Amino acid sequence: MRIEIDRDLCCGAGTCVLLAPGVFDQDDEDGTVILLDATPGAGRRAAVEEAAERCPTAVISIT
Amino acid sequence: MTQTTQSQESENRLPRPFPTARPSGCPFDPPAPFAEARAECPVTPLRYPDGHIGRLVTGLASGRAVLGDTRFSSLPAGKRSPVMTPGSELSTDALPTGMFVNMDPPEHTRYRRLLSKHFTIRRVRELRPRVQEMADRLLDAMERDCGPVDLVEAFAKPLPTLVTSELLGLPEEDRAEFRRHVDVLFSLSSSGEEMRQSMTLLGGMLHALIGAAREDPGPDILGRLTVETDLSDEELLGITIVLLIAGLETTTHMLALGTYALLSHPEQLAELRADWSLLDGAVEELLRYLSVVQIGPVRVAAEDFEFEGRSIRTGEVVTVSLPAANRDPLGFENPDVFDIRRGATRHLAFGSGPHQCMGHHLARLELAVGYESLLRRFPRLELAVPAEEIGTREMMVTYGVLALPVRW
Ligand code: HEM
Ligand code: SF4
Repeated sequence: MRIEIDRDLCCGAGTCVLLAPGVFDQDDEDGTVILLDATPGAGRRAAVEEAAERCPTAVISIT
Repeated sequence: MTQTTQSQESENRLPRPFPTARPSGCPFDPPAPFAEARAECPVTPLRYPDGHIGRLVTGLASGRAVLGDTRFSSLPAGKRSPVMTPGSELSTDALPTGMFVNMDPPEHTRYRRLLSKHFTIRRVRELRPRVQEMADRLLDAMERDCGPVDLVEAFAKPLPTLVTSELLGLPEEDRAEFRRHVDVLFSLSSSGEEMRQSMTLLGGMLHALIGAAREDPGPDILGRLTVETDLSDEELLGITIVLLIAGLETTTHMLALGTYALLSHPEQLAELRADWSLLDGAVEELLRYLSVVQIGPVRVAAEDFEFEGRSIRTGEVVTVSLPAANRDPLGFENPDVFDIRRGATRHLAFGSGPHQCMGHHLARLELAVGYESLLRRFPRLELAVPAEEIGTREMMVTYGVLALPVRW
């Protein structure tokens, strides 16, 4: 699994951080997403998929 | 292709007005016509009070798609409420700049970037002990009163107001006056004149607060914004008003209506009392099941385009019904059943897209702390009047109870 983010779209709602801490974080300055781990293990797939689906502005894509 | 046929079919019917009457005896269920509209099609024609024919969105997937699509604009021009709510006749001309709820990206994005850092999970977690302290103090006062008391006035209103006062750095001695103005603005029984007066007085208070933050910036949001950004006083005023409008009533009515819903489902309440690890799931289910933001979000089509097989015309007003979307059988199994173990997190109670609630982590914290503290303090909490006597807020943007008399 490889994660890509389009940070320009991020509205800083932080849903991804809630669902997959350790994979995503929020910037302390502008609240936008920080990708901590672009290739997390298979065990995180469900959480990352839910984050991608629930991100309100479709920032996260998984390949 | 069935989509197109279906939508053409529903297009031939007479457009409905926006329904607000709740089914009798079911204060938690959305108005019945929403389910009928959704069964026809997730997007149906809607008649607005001035005769404009726009759209109503009742499906979960379509609702998320509309809110995530910026061709549906949030700019005020041409936007109309689907119902005349008290206060909706108040002119919007005099509103300060900086009210980013009524903006589109990229202007909107600029404000979100400046504000989001104050609402991150990390920041909100730091607030937990203070929120707990405020809840405990309100419950102390309630306990001294012996009951019955109106939970709305004693707990559900003051908790979010205190939290917001703290976020904004409002001095203790001004908080009572602040609450009075906020109460008038959000009350059903206030006249237009009273609202205008409170708006002016509240504006004065907030101006003074912004001035004080510039003189001597504290660690609160306003203090930080004066130091870290180049926002003007007027923009700060607009931002503050957005935080008040967006964060107070919503949380208040979730607290009160949520307590009512729990008291009305005694088996699930007993399970929750026996196992507090169910709390976060219960909060999520209450958000979905109650969906207190009941009128809107509203958007206006900024161009002509195809959306889910329909032609949308520039200027068409689209209203998403969050209560309807959150009861969509395509999104939730047995959607009308309240189930704190459901684990349904993909609801739209906080909206979606770029305007998705900025305070959602804070709201969840206030609700979790609020429900748990209240229920732990009063193990025998119950309604003090028969359920039929509890009035609801059908015509308000935020649904809820008018009062919730309880005893313990
Ligand atoms: C349970 C309580 C709450 C509910 C159900 C709720 C719901 C919503 C919804 C549905 C929206 C989207 C409006 C739109 O799309 O036009 C929204 C926006 C917003 N909410 Fe909340 N909210 C709650 C609590 C809060 C709190 C506590 C705060 C912070 C103090 C807050 C701050 C905001 C802000 C600033 C916006 C505007 C975001 C923007 O336009 O970019 N909300 N909320
Ligand atoms: S959920 Fe989406 S919008 Fe929210 S912080 Fe994460 S990436 Fe940004």
